[in-house]
Amino acid sequence: MSSINWKQFSAFVLLASLACSGLSCTVASSNELYWGKTDPPQRNIFRYVTGEEPESLDPVVSNGQPEARIYMALYDGLVEYDPKTTAPIPALATHWRQNGDSSEFMFYLRRNGRWSNGDPIDANDFLYSFRRAVSPKVASRNAYMAYYIKYAQPFNEGKVFVRDPSNGKFLQAKDFDESLPAEPISGSPIDQAKSEFQPTAEESQPPPETAFHQALHSPLRLTIPGDEKARTKLLNSNAKLKAAIAGKELVPIKGEDIGIEMLDNYTLRISLTLPAPFFVSMLAHQAFRIVPGKVVEQYGEQWTQPAHIVTCGPFKLKTWRPYDTLVVERDPMYWDAANVKLDEIHFYPMSDNPTIMNLYKVGEVDAVLNHTVPNAWLPVVRTKKDYMDAAEAAIEYININTTRPPMNDVRVRKAFNMAIDKEAWATWRRIVKPLTAFTPAGIFPGYPQPKGDAFNPEEARRLLGESGYPVTKNQDGSYSCPKFPANQMEYIYNTQESTKNMAEWMQAQWRQNLGITITLRNMDWKTFLTTRAKMDYTGFARGSWGMDYLDPFTFLSLFYTGGENGTGWEDPKYVALVDEANRSLDPVKRYQILAQAEAYMLQYQPVIPIHTASANWVKKPYVKGMYPNPASLFAWKFVYIERDPAKWDAGTPSLAD
Amino acid sequence: MLRFIIRRLLITIPTILVVITITWGLIKLAPGNFYSGEKRLPAAIEKNIREKYSLDKPWYQQYARTMANIVLRFDFGTSLRFEGQSVNSIIWRSLPVSAAVGVLAYLLALVVGITVGSIAALKQNSRWDYSSMALAMLGISVPNFVLGPILVLVFSLGLYWLPPSRWGGFPSKNLILPVLTLSALYMAYIARLTRAGMLEVLRSDYIRTARAKGLSEKDVVIKHGLRGGLMPVVSYTGPALAFLLTGTVVVERIFALPGLGNYFIQASLNRDEPLIIGIVAFISITLLFMNMLVDIAYAYLDPRVRYH
Repeated sequence: MSSINWKQFSAFVLLASLACSGLSCTVASSNELYWGKTDPPQRNIFRYVTGEEPESLDPVVSNGQPEARIYMALYDGLVEYDPKTTAPIPALATHWRQNGDSSEFMFYLRRNGRWSNGDPIDANDFLYSFRRAVSPKVASRNAYMAYYIKYAQPFNEGKVFVRDPSNGKFLQAKDFDESLPAEPISGSPIDQAKSEFQPTAEESQPPPETAFHQALHSPLRLTIPGDEKARTKLLNSNAKLKAAIAGKELVPIKGEDIGIEMLDNYTLRISLTLPAPFFVSMLAHQAFRIVPGKVVEQYGEQWTQPAHIVTCGPFKLKTWRPYDTLVVERDPMYWDAANVKLDEIHFYPMSDNPTIMNLYKVGEVDAVLNHTVPNAWLPVVRTKKDYMDAAEAAIEYININTTRPPMNDVRVRKAFNMAIDKEAWATWRRIVKPLTAFTPAGIFPGYPQPKGDAFNPEEARRLLGESGYPVTKNQDGSYSCPKFPANQMEYIYNTQESTKNMAEWMQAQWRQNLGITITLRNMDWKTFLTTRAKMDYTGFARGSWGMDYLDPFTFLSLFYTGGENGTGWEDPKYVALVDEANRSLDPVKRYQILAQAEAYMLQYQPVIPIHTASANWVKKPYVKGMYPNPASLFAWKFVYIERDPAKWDAGTPSLAD
Repeated sequence: MLRFIIRRLLITIPTILVVITITWGLIKLAPGNFYSGEKRLPAAIEKNIREKYSLDKPWYQQYARTMANIVLRFDFGTSLRFEGQSVNSIIWRSLPVSAAVGVLAYLLALVVGITVGSIAALKQNSRWDYSSMALAMLGISVPNFVLGPILVLVFSLGLYWLPPSRWGGFPSKNLILPVLTLSALYMAYIARLTRAGMLEVLRSDYIRTARAKGLSEKDVVIKHGLRGGLMPVVSYTGPALAFLLTGTVVVERIFALPGLGNYFIQASLNRDEPLIIGIVAFISITLLFMNMLVDIAYAYLDPRVRYH
């Protein structure tokens, strides 16, 4: 290329880059109140990006949040999430009551509930849907949510009862397991004088007694695996059980055996295996939303196809073009249709954050899902009045494999926790709140959240020295810890911008404060999950957790069932404390004991808490009735489009009434 | 010629089966399952799912079942991720989207690429030649995940002229940016290949003969020059068309298009075995078919190539 043409070429490149940077400057530095266009749509149509393409429109199939928001448009349950607090509010149940130890619940259904095809909704639909949700054949990933219901877990696990053919009585669990906790009220025989549900003013008499209820109110039955192989294995390891079972009849557990009972067409009674004060708040979850039995039985897996689907939520399916748009329209059959304000919701399945934000800016969508604003965009977007700034009931933390040295030493784990300046991290990440405990900060009102160890590099170095890895100060002020086997350790995380940022930050903190450099290793999502679940790592693994229901136990339960938390830490004392809390009849005392359990777990530091997540999404100011609640789940019937700019939201709408 | 086509088709079938087998094996080796998520499932639920989808059977039974369905009924089964949706229906649904964007990008690349390349060759070492080839170099070096966002930044977010993403049907304004982004690279390649091919041909003896015969410059260039000069372009554009038709992961992702490429990447990340196999098989078939078309086109363009 001759010199003249080279000049032309460079001039071209310069011009092109100037044009681009000029534009990007105007884009980034605009001083407008809101991020992008704010023209409300012509009709009452709400356009929303909910995340990944939904797996299925069957509410028991997916356990994802993107789907949960679609299910909330299409299906109703006994209760719904409050738009501000996500606490349970009446939906198909108008009211409910619970017994003394929260182990049995009565639900009173409204009489005007209807399916989208006009059929009435009654208690039968709940019997069908709840049994289906835990049926092993359906294999729902959400089935564990319903394990609190009596015999739902053994039914889902394919277990069998054992009956003595001579007297027709079932063998009892307590005869084979002394460690079983005391029975909840619903598990012990009913004392008629002290009936669990005293009649209220509207009722003339207590709920009727039935044979089924009596059966639920007898001591817990023994259940053993229905699978021949698993059963033989169990019996071979337990001679007492083997002898007791010889000659007995094995009765497979059916859907009809689980603890949900229909007293009349509009009254349900649900009995639980254990006390669960949070049970009602679980019931808004998709696992408990009802599906149309007739349609499901007729079409099988195809029932969710647009030609067949029948729903019961405020909206019904209009069109569904996968990976493009899912349109739902107001269902005139819905019991509260008069108060449903939107005509349609268009759900766009998208997952690339910059693409989503672009669509929002040009005004083609009215709101986007949580965690969507990229970190680099925050300085600009966060200053806008349509940015949703609120804490979420979700946390980010680091798992520690507590089964391998050197991390099997609690002092080493504590040292690594204390060496991280979480305040500084939160400042850099801009929107999150630093966390030292395992429950998210400021989400559960009245919960006395304990505090974990604060940032203390001095103490961290001392603890490391005490456990045999002395940290020495170099001449230039940095630290080194030559004895620590850092080369055998790693920090694993799934490939993603935000997780990478976090990993690098933590690595830098440990290098700076302890003189230890941990190798980072990223993996694709599914590989990461498998590696972490098998605890096939030495050192650290990124973790995050979001709420299933509005109760601290949704976080603390992670360490309740041992071996499933990816850290290898389990402790019977912790389990006992949690049990004691959940049995407690006084909600204040229950929270206190739960907090004790949390503090107990934090002492052993199986995880390093990092932060409480932030909702981090945007909505146009004309979208009203939509709040950045702790679960990022929105009851769509409350959402509407406000055309009067004077009534628009300027800033995050308040969650307090 | 017919024998050639039949022979090629016969080789194609075992090739596809080998591709499917390798894909199947790789999926089985990859860690993780379609149902695994941040919240680990209780063992019983995992067992129920594995039973429901016959994942608890020995590997050879699973393999035999998959292959039998594909070979006997050309049925790739049902997606694991998207319950109740058959792989065949997903492919037929998403193919038109990918094909619309792909074919438009392909035509644009061909028309612009060949025109620019030919002019550059005819006016070698001119200003036009240098600037167009510099632009082509830029087109080759700037990856589409950079070009796409820049176009969006300028035309959607800056000027508010065009929608930044999503599928708007065919035809629609939504197509402009993805088609431009997708064709840039191919356009640039084709321009460079055309230029190189034309330069070589224009210096060859038969062009000199054509000129000596007194043919008009137009006839020399279009009838004789292009025919030879396009040989490299043809061998390049055959497979290129196959890739364009079957979806381009990055562009479909950036512009949120419901095409095959989008499904492909998601299926791989989700470990959706039947869907991955279906799409891989479909892409292989298209690729092999396009290669065959290239070979046939060669015969027409170059009399020296003959098929036996």
